[in-house]
Amino acid sequence: MPHSAPDSYPRRGFPPRSTALPEMATAVIILNEEREVEYVNRSAEELFEPVDPHGCTMPVLLASCGARGGEEMFADHVSGQDAEGTCRLRLVDERLLDCTSRRLSNGGYVLSLDDVTEHVRNAELANHDALTGLANRKIFRERLSERLADARQSGKPVAVLYLDLDRFKAINDTLGHPVGDALLRKVAGRLTGALHPDDLAARLGGDEFAVLQSGSEQPASAQALAARLVDLIGRTYALEGHTLNVGASVGVAIAPQDGYEPDTLLRHADLALFRAKADGRGAYRFFEHGMNDRIQARRLMEIELRRALALKQLRLVYQPQIHLASNAISGFEALIRWETPDGRVVPPSEFIPLAEEIGVILPIGEWVLRTACKQAAAWPDSVAVSVNVSPAQFRTGRLVETVASALARSGLPAARLELEVTEGALLEGSDAVTRTLATLRQMGVRIAMDDFGTGYSSLSYLQKFPFDRIKVDKSFVRGIDRNSHRLPIVRAIVTLAAGLGMETMAEGVETEAELACIRAEGCDGVQGYLTGCPLSPEAATALLAPSRPLSSTGATE
Amino acid sequence: MSNDLHRLVYYSRNKVAGEPGALEAAINGILAKSRANNAKAGVTGALMFNSGCFAQVLEGPREAVEEVFERIQQDERHGDVSLLAFGPAEARSFENWSMGFVGASVEDAARYGSLGPESGFDPSRLTGEALFEILHGLALDEENAD
Ligand SMILES: Cc1cc2nc3c(=O)[nH]c(=O)nc-3n(C[C@H](O)[C@H](O)[C@H](O)COP(=O)(O)O)c2cc1C
Repeated sequence: MPHSAPDSYPRRGFPPRSTALPEMATAVIILNEEREVEYVNRSAEELFEPVDPHGCTMPVLLASCGARGGEEMFADHVSGQDAEGTCRLRLVDERLLDCTSRRLSNGGYVLSLDDVTEHVRNAELANHDALTGLANRKIFRERLSERLADARQSGKPVAVLYLDLDRFKAINDTLGHPVGDALLRKVAGRLTGALHPDDLAARLGGDEFAVLQSGSEQPASAQALAARLVDLIGRTYALEGHTLNVGASVGVAIAPQDGYEPDTLLRHADLALFRAKADGRGAYRFFEHGMNDRIQARRLMEIELRRALALKQLRLVYQPQIHLASNAISGFEALIRWETPDGRVVPPSEFIPLAEEIGVILPIGEWVLRTACKQAAAWPDSVAVSVNVSPAQFRTGRLVETVASALARSGLPAARLELEVTEGALLEGSDAVTRTLATLRQMGVRIAMDDFGTGYSSLSYLQKFPFDRIKVDKSFVRGIDRNSHRLPIVRAIVTLAAGLGMETMAEGVETEAELACIRAEGCDGVQGYLTGCPLSPEAATALLAPSRPLSSTGATE
Repeated sequence: MSNDLHRLVYYSRNKVAGEPGALEAAINGILAKSRANNAKAGVTGALMFNSGCFAQVLEGPREAVEEVFERIQQDERHGDVSLLAFGPAEARSFENWSMGFVGASVEDAARYGSLGPESGFDPSRLTGEALFEILHGLALDEENAD
């Protein structure tokens, strides 16, 4: 017996309506004992237009105009249970209404509906990162807490992926913030494109992002996603007319095994990210117990290394380089040693990469140059010194200046200084590096290519720059007398160098047999434990004293 | 400024596995979608498939080209995308094609394309300019044959 015309509907003693009711901004609906709409004010009428609410039950009314929400509350209405309370309705046009239901003394209900769309949208905005539209840190943390609480019940794993961009700062600095911002938006786009509907992506700030992954098989899903993100975000961008490349590093932590507390999980994902970056960027790493300790140890080393220079814990040792035709010492390579306060000698392979990363390589590199030049100035005119220069020193654009100053202060002729560069230095910004090398060479400084043959394109650098000397990497020299593959490589390098007018020096010669082979192949010089260990400055100088026969270097012949 | 004519040239590794039939279907799908999308965005260009690689030229207003490229970049049907050239262009070179397929027919490319470099097309050795010239040349041949 649905009634739809308000006028024909009998009024069974409902409470008197105030005259203000029809005009109220709040939408008001009154239901009769049968839970059918008996009265709507003007605001309520507008909400449901063109559907006429009169005589409908609420579930029928909401369904007929495509609104969602409130199902439970109105089901209670219909089933006759007491149904006071509040629910949120979402209309087809996405407007949001908070609906409060109160029981009337005559058995009916009064519903008031408030439009909360704007309020909710504003709150949502506050939960989003304005630049990318992703969730912000606050929301990410909240969701993470919720999912972890669920996970405690269900035992299902939850993964957190921490992601940050490699080289983003350089782009921001050189191309400006608008380009940096546009890039972050594209990164966010690629990030969301790779996710499942249940995953949540957030921008935590700067170039840091995070993904919350639940409801999937772990660690397989996190691994697949991490690998995909590293690949996808690392692909070239065409943006604002620029061709841009950034890398992404990802750290992953998974509950329950890596922690159940949101903060623990986040910290562990962050540690894993730190590891990924330390391992060379553009990679992903899972959290492992023990990472904490290792990173702690690294932090400690960082603090100590920053102090090492000031505390004079660094020193140089000098390894003889032998000119094979004359069997005389032609020079020494200056090698750095770090003796920590506890008496441990840290090899350069352990601390130089760290020094480069934390930026202390520059003062260290400069100290090495000055110290080596000063030392070499005390040697006979025929003896040179070789100094390694790191890619970071080229980047400063001040290398030429530093070298000139080190030579001037020490009084060492430029021709007795040789700088050893690795492919790593040449790879970066090749043109600027080549120009710097050319200037140094014009000054009379000799340039050697270090570790030749270990990089990707050593050969191509030979045609780009006229090196004075090529240092054949020890991996080709070690066991050359026994390994049939190494000999032809060394032979080819020597022939090539001779053709280009460059000298060759074999590194890492340790046995007589190796030395004989190297000599037979026509290398110009050797350096290695057989012909001389790295020596203290005093021992090196003593070795050069005219009275000492050369055989004491160990270069038996 | 942002709508200056730009040209973008890239090549990539095809990742569509399986029978020539599957490849042919995939390429036809890409072409159909590209033609519809590009026509709307004012983008023209040409696509070539060979030796397991795609090579493509896109030209149009800068923002439109960047947008299309961003979608292409995320497409899982290919990988190792090498962007060879991206910059302002004087005029369109594929005026009449929202996305032309050049070289062999789709069917032939799918069937023989993976046979490899004897076709003389190895994009990894080409500059953006050279790759563009090849696609442009093939496009002219194709138009003259019509
Ligand atoms: C080699 C290759 C070339 C493509 N070229 C285009 C293109 O020129 N234009 C385009 O809209 N989509 C191109 N796509 C397809 C896009 O990657 C993407 O699937 C498509 O744009 C999605 O369109 P939709 O969002 O309209 O579904 C290409 C895909 C591949 C693998």
